[in-house]
Amino acid sequence: MRIIKFLISLSITLVLIWALDKSWEVNQTRIPPLGKFLDPFHGFWQNLEPTHYQFPENLDIPGLQQPVTIIFDSLMIPHIFAQNDADLYLAQGYVTAMHRLWQMEFQTHAAAGRISEIIGPGKDDAVLNYDRSQRRLGMVYAADNALRLMIKRPEARLVVNSYTDGINAYIRSLNYRSLPVEYKLMDYSPENWTPLKCALLLKSMAQTLNMGDKDMQMTNALKLFGPDLVNLLYPDREPVADPIVEKPNAWDFEPVKLDSVPSALPDELIKISGLTIPDPTIGSNNWAVAGSKTQSGSPILCNDPHLNTTLPSIWYAIQLNAPGINSMGASLPGAPGVISGFNDSIAWGVTNAQRDLVDWYAIHFDNLKMNRFLLDGEWIDTRKIIEKIDIRGKEPFFDTVTYTYWGPVVYDHSYRSENNRKYYAFRWIAHDESEELMTFYELNRARNHSDYMKALDHFSSPAQNFVFASVSGDIAMRIQGKFPVRRKNEGKFVLDGSKLSNGWQYFIPFEHNVMVKNPERGFVSSANQYPADETYPYYIQATSYEAYRNRRINNLLREANQVTVQDMMRLQNDNYSIRAEESLPLLLSHLDSASLNEVERFAFKTLQSWDYTFTGTSEAPSYYEAWWTNLMPLIWDEMRRDDLSLSTPTSWNTINLMKNHPDLVFYDLQSSPEKESLKDIINLAFKQGVEEVEKWKSSADGTNRTPQWAEYKDTFVEHLTRIEPLGIHVKHGGHGSAVNASSRKHGPSWRMVVSLEKTGPKIYATYPGGQSGNPGSVHYSDMLERWSKGQYFNLMFLHKPEDAGQKLFSTMNLKPKKK
Amino acid sequence: MKFLIQLIAILIAAALLEIFLPWWSIAIGAAIGGYFFRSNMNFLTGFLAIALLWLVKAMWLETQSTSSLTESIASILMVKSKTVLFLVTALLGGLVGGFAALTTSLIKKS
Repeated sequence: MRIIKFLISLSITLVLIWALDKSWEVNQTRIPPLGKFLDPFHGFWQNLEPTHYQFPENLDIPGLQQPVTIIFDSLMIPHIFAQNDADLYLAQGYVTAMHRLWQMEFQTHAAAGRISEIIGPGKDDAVLNYDRSQRRLGMVYAADNALRLMIKRPEARLVVNSYTDGINAYIRSLNYRSLPVEYKLMDYSPENWTPLKCALLLKSMAQTLNMGDKDMQMTNALKLFGPDLVNLLYPDREPVADPIVEKPNAWDFEPVKLDSVPSALPDELIKISGLTIPDPTIGSNNWAVAGSKTQSGSPILCNDPHLNTTLPSIWYAIQLNAPGINSMGASLPGAPGVISGFNDSIAWGVTNAQRDLVDWYAIHFDNLKMNRFLLDGEWIDTRKIIEKIDIRGKEPFFDTVTYTYWGPVVYDHSYRSENNRKYYAFRWIAHDESEELMTFYELNRARNHSDYMKALDHFSSPAQNFVFASVSGDIAMRIQGKFPVRRKNEGKFVLDGSKLSNGWQYFIPFEHNVMVKNPERGFVSSANQYPADETYPYYIQATSYEAYRNRRINNLLREANQVTVQDMMRLQNDNYSIRAEESLPLLLSHLDSASLNEVERFAFKTLQSWDYTFTGTSEAPSYYEAWWTNLMPLIWDEMRRDDLSLSTPTSWNTINLMKNHPDLVFYDLQSSPEKESLKDIINLAFKQGVEEVEKWKSSADGTNRTPQWAEYKDTFVEHLTRIEPLGIHVKHGGHGSAVNASSRKHGPSWRMVVSLEKTGPKIYATYPGGQSGNPGSVHYSDMLERWSKGQYFNLMFLHKPEDAGQKLFSTMNLKPKKK
Repeated sequence: MKFLIQLIAILIAAALLEIFLPWWSIAIGAAIGGYFFRSNMNFLTGFLAIALLWLVKAMWLETQSTSSLTESIASILMVKSKTVLFLVTALLGGLVGGFAALTTSLIKKS
């Protein structure tokens, strides 16, 4: 009897331990191993960081040559003091991993198409399909190519290898107890870091910035609407923006010209549905004001790159000090160096240079095996890469990707085969060898304008508008990247892949790129707008160019004098929208105000007295936004089709068409038998918009809310896993068309203002998050509140560790580990 | 008295073992207490000892921190509140401790 009781009790104990030591999948949701996860000695409770957490003061690090001192300030920004480059980047790798390891690995897994490995194939294979598309776009191929060139340069090789060593030293120090909480939640462990992952991270940024591509949508538009309507709906250049550089008739060089004749424009429908492009209102701002316009007489440089506002934050602030370098600013976790920042002599910043750097080539294969394709009358062999995609809890998935002369074939009969077996190969500038890291390596050490120019010569993709200012008084802007020389219309539509002459035959020589130094107007600026005036001798085209922020910035900078740092902060947080100014009076003039009900009349009155400013506390912006977001799909309902993809014209052009083409066929609604006019749909959109706001008002647990803009917009800084409770809602004004381009999940991901004074640079910065990637740390989101209020932190920039004084939060000494 | 001695013995053994071994070492701690310090309520002592150990440790860590991670985890695991999460933690640890202590208490001492 006793033995039976014993056996039963033993079995229960063992089964309990087994069941609580493994993770379970219930309804597609992974439950962490509960015993392991809830154990307060090792589980998630250990990720609750004490408020006054002190680092271990001394650490032995294998691979280090000399001791390194790291000072953490009150924001947990590390200030690294090393005695040589190798130690400096090793320490950068170590501290970045200490704060952001999970994020770095997850982002590079995502870039490489390896998410199924962590979370399984997803609902309807959505995750697996995401992984497949990443593989088919050649992300790893691109990273491999970048790495090949990177390691040919001794400096870059040293930098990535040391950085990698530092990350791996941290990974080796981990056990389950000290693992980042996301690993515990999803029940997996980190793998070793490699230099390839640094390259992958940069390529993933290039993907974010270059993939606003609509060649297929434009091809369909050409077939359905014809060339005249295409030019009307999607002009190459909207006659509005204030270009980044204006040198009318002063581009004194002989442009490279292609002598071959371009192929005829395509005449086909590409039946791939659901192709999307990133929100066209996304972008970034940067500018520099010369000393002649500032109160202090020193230049001021500002940069706010707009990206997804996610947690852990995209940026990681850091100071790097070693012989030959004393640089600080925002770094990307996973890439060594500082990306947007300053040093003792200069400051620089980046915004995305909109330009078409992605092309699609229609491929003619000999048969379904895709072993050979036609090129200038000859059959050329292809190369096959078998992609093994590991899937958690399932057998791996094998995908064969065919590489042609142009690049990988993304769409074929095994992927998105709805398109009648037509094949498209993908050509992307980021597939080419590149050495972006050298740019940042040299910028971090640059002393003057000519160092900056040399550093930029290493940069090929993703093309950026690099702003510059120096303590010695220079300001400059240079649009840098490798841009193919194109003939008119080339790259706007899919290209014929059977003709070599359709390829990128030449690149614009770097010295012909758009650039300016110390312009007479006393400032330089960029906000993703059209790069140059009309006399620039190369054909330029992109998915869209920014139409509003750039004008607002330039209007204010032109008028400004005696500029102070506070003025610049105000400008970065400016919520005035030229789009609202240019569209609302038009919309209101069409509104049939006699037939409004009570709430509609209130909305109408609110809008009539609006100052076009997206202030967080006003209600008018909510009504405007609701009106606008209802109007666009009504006008452009023709563009939403289940069988193929089309692109919606830009906001600027929509307003332009409403003003100048009041009888366009597109105003008619497809879904109704009547013929609607522009007036009809503007009124309909207004009613729908007001109804939407009314619904929103009463949606929250019975209480009636006032639709203040910040509440209505509801900025949400989301965790990368999209696990809702790890994200944070924050009240913040702004709008995609305002300088403070903050939308719901997108916005200024780093705000920096640098005053380059002779006595040393003064720096003010903030970002929507915090230095620590650990949701259990006070530094997970400690900068968020000031960010949302438009306030800044005065960053501490040191010359030696002792300068830290009282502001010092914690010190960490890394020591070479004796063998 | 026996009950109290057994409870303290399991508590100390489990706490020490957790320094070196993974979470399931609580079962070893409880098993030691179940075998060497028997009482007439072996399951209950095992349960209470580990539940208490986990609850106190979790609460201690929580008071040291000002972050809202505990609320977030409670919400991710779909338990109503922080308090429920503390109780679930104590319960799961307690169950393993209870059965482990009961098991070894059923072995005949030679």
